[in-house]
Amino acid sequence: MGFLRNLGEVFTILKHIFRQIFKRPFTSLYPFEDRPYPERTRGRHIHVRQNCTACAQCVRACPVLAIRIDKADKMYEKDAALYFDYTRCIFCGLCVDACRFDALYHTPIVDMAEGEREDLIYGPEKITTLDREPLEWRGRRFR
Amino acid sequence: MTPDILDETVEVWFGPQHVSAHGWATKLKLVGDFIVECDPHAGYFHRSAEKCLEYRNFRQGSPILERLCMLEAFLAEYPYISAVEQIAGLVVPERAKVLRTIMMEASRIHSYQFWWGQLSAEMGFFAMTLWPWVDREFFLDTFEELTGVRHSPHFSTPGGLRFDFTEKVLAKLEKAIQVLEYNMPKFEDMLMKSPLFRMRTEGVGQYSAKEALRWGLSGPNIKACGIPMDLRKDQPDPNLAYDMVDWEVPILEHPDHPGESDAYDRMVQRFNEVKTSVDIIKQLIPQIPDGPIIDPKARAKANRLPEGEAYGRVEGARGITSLWLKTLEKAQTPYRAKIRGPCFHSYYALKHLVPSARFADFIVIFGSLDPYPGWWDR
Amino acid sequence: MTGGAVLQFEWFVDWLRGLPQWVFNIIEVIRGIIYGIYDWLWVVINLLWTLVIDNIFFLFKAVIFPGLIFVVMGLIFFVWFTRKLWGRIQMRRGPMHMGKYGGVQLFADAIKLISKEIIIPDKAHRWAYRFLPSLLLVVVLVPFAFIPWDTVWFIADLSVSLVLVFAFLAAVPVIALLAGWISGSKYSLIGGFRAANNQFAAEIPMIMSSVGPAMLAGSLSIMGIALAQSSVWFIFLLPINFATFLTASIISVGVFPFDAPVADSEIIFGWRTEFSGVYFTLTYFAEFAEQMLYSALMVTFFFGGFYGVPWLPGAVNFIIKFLIMLFVFVTVSSSFHRLRQDQIVRYCWKYLLPLSMLNVIIAMLAIVYVPGLALLLVGG
Repeated sequence: MGFLRNLGEVFTILKHIFRQIFKRPFTSLYPFEDRPYPERTRGRHIHVRQNCTACAQCVRACPVLAIRIDKADKMYEKDAALYFDYTRCIFCGLCVDACRFDALYHTPIVDMAEGEREDLIYGPEKITTLDREPLEWRGRRFR
Repeated sequence: MTPDILDETVEVWFGPQHVSAHGWATKLKLVGDFIVECDPHAGYFHRSAEKCLEYRNFRQGSPILERLCMLEAFLAEYPYISAVEQIAGLVVPERAKVLRTIMMEASRIHSYQFWWGQLSAEMGFFAMTLWPWVDREFFLDTFEELTGVRHSPHFSTPGGLRFDFTEKVLAKLEKAIQVLEYNMPKFEDMLMKSPLFRMRTEGVGQYSAKEALRWGLSGPNIKACGIPMDLRKDQPDPNLAYDMVDWEVPILEHPDHPGESDAYDRMVQRFNEVKTSVDIIKQLIPQIPDGPIIDPKARAKANRLPEGEAYGRVEGARGITSLWLKTLEKAQTPYRAKIRGPCFHSYYALKHLVPSARFADFIVIFGSLDPYPGWWDR
Repeated sequence: MTGGAVLQFEWFVDWLRGLPQWVFNIIEVIRGIIYGIYDWLWVVINLLWTLVIDNIFFLFKAVIFPGLIFVVMGLIFFVWFTRKLWGRIQMRRGPMHMGKYGGVQLFADAIKLISKEIIIPDKAHRWAYRFLPSLLLVVVLVPFAFIPWDTVWFIADLSVSLVLVFAFLAAVPVIALLAGWISGSKYSLIGGFRAANNQFAAEIPMIMSSVGPAMLAGSLSIMGIALAQSSVWFIFLLPINFATFLTASIISVGVFPFDAPVADSEIIFGWRTEFSGVYFTLTYFAEFAEQMLYSALMVTFFFGGFYGVPWLPGAVNFIIKFLIMLFVFVTVSSSFHRLRQDQIVRYCWKYLLPLSMLNVIIAMLAIVYVPGLALLLVGG
């Protein structure tokens, strides 16, 4: 009897496997179709220089020393230039929490792969804008 | 006289470059197909987390803790938060307590789902590897909706939470639990009832409750021996909401060998744990109170802590996770933080469990204890 | 003085006069050699050409349709099919980027694997390391010659081809053991012995299971077994034998539930651990070719070979059943947890061997005591 029961359980597993073959796969076609990111997604930052007061709270809050501030580089009255080192950043969101002047936000952009290490250090010209060059590969455009 | 083959031992390194040894290495001595000596080596995954904590202030510490075990991130960050709250004398709002408990249980479920897949992958059944991981995606989506990232959420902060629940989060959490409950019978067919899985795990890595206590095992590994040792029930944390729920500690008494557990029992025990966690979450969701999620003065209070010591602990997915924290007067950073990971003990229990087992059973015993290298190489 | 000088000069003139004749003679000799070679080649080419013309059908069979090119194309298809099916079972998509539905993914993988550096370990036996993977693939591909795809489309048929096929297949784990031995790695050695262990467990149940069809057909030739199923397929008479043959063949190949020889979580890749580049590719293909071979054998033994839908050609019938068998093979071999090697032996000798013998005995008794059955088998 034990043998027959085992046989039945083996066939139950085979039934599950067989059913699975004709179901749709779960994987999304990632680079071709983008998945929806929720509102709170902690992706790369955007720095609004109009609101910035150069208080450097974000620099203090960062646990991994990923942010560097250059107070001499002023575009407006009292702002400062921020340099984000995304080779160090752990996306904990503490800098955004620390900012009380609505000058620093996360964006839902998470695909930041680059060919060079230096390109991941986002200077003031890259961190203040969301525009970037589209990635092309074999005639297909991503992003 | 010809030398006996049993007199010769072969030394095999099960480690660092092995495909299933991700960040650990064990030296095994084999006689024939049997292991006679097992020497677990720690240190291949060392990232000096304790020293890192001494250079971060009290709000910056918990991201470090999360990275010790990504799978139970909500649970792993809690001992540090709890210790800071105890020293600073912070009072957590009611809503934060309940939400914290819900997310900790969700994290526990998601850790066990990963573990089902991992054990199946170690035993060569890759369909069962991917199916629980697909269900796990729904929990990860919940975490992403709540905190903005899938892993390492950094959800709690001293004195409360950083993110509040929304309708969308609740809907996603309920969907995740729905999917889990829909697929649980299938997984039971695949794991608990599969005769090949039973052949492979029954009687493998068997230890008694006494031995387990001596080795310092905790969590599901000891509950599978029939000892209801659970911090959630034994030492209810005032900052968590387990007293609002009616639940029993899940234990397993095997009829054939009461007081002992083998690899199969530990697997069944983890099914029971998941059922308990689902039960707790289901009871807590209607009881979520309204109100703030963080004490408004908590931020200022956590900046500088008075002198003191505290021991934060939580019943993690793999056992008792705890952290001892000492601060000096007006401290911005801890003076010393000592992490007690649950898996250090289960990893070194291999030294006693593995000898006399077959070489093929080594990975099954290792997998059934569910160790994570981050916890012993902190 | 002068006379001597004149003599020398005359000798030189004579020598100069003889030179054209000498060159001509040499050219004659070379021409003779070339003509000789040309004549000889002409004869040989004529002979070969007559051989080719006489055996053009056999050569076509051996090289193109049921032969090498067909089998290799089938192998490429089967690797794609397996990966796609594994992907579907695991809720993935499988190969999808290269070509339509990932159809040419295998070529990309093969080019990548072949172009990789070949690293031979210091302790390895270099000559055997280079030689064994190719030998393995050849040994696995040769038995395809005996598969009867149709009454016409087969390469070779012997009166004992069943025995010969199993003789070839018994060499596979020997090569695996040797490969583990010469790799100079402990993991490879353990894997090699596990491969031998698997064959030790599975070979006897497998051969016992194939005894049933051979007895019912009254022939040890695979063609004879296929021909004997014109009226009734042996699956209806020997269902348990089919199950045991399927299980034993999965064990013998060493794919998933019984993949102790190449268990990647225990011994890194078993006896294939140290193979790299093109040698790994060859061993990898050999495993898939072995699965194909067992599927073809199962179709021949139990599913009536080329018999089936009457208005279709026999080869088409065979290939349809062959694809279904491959599907069954992959599905069964991807739905269980791996067994330990001692459990494999226990399982085979305790359950598989008695079951396969039981069915043979039942079939024997049925032939003796049910009078109509023998006539049915003969085709009456």
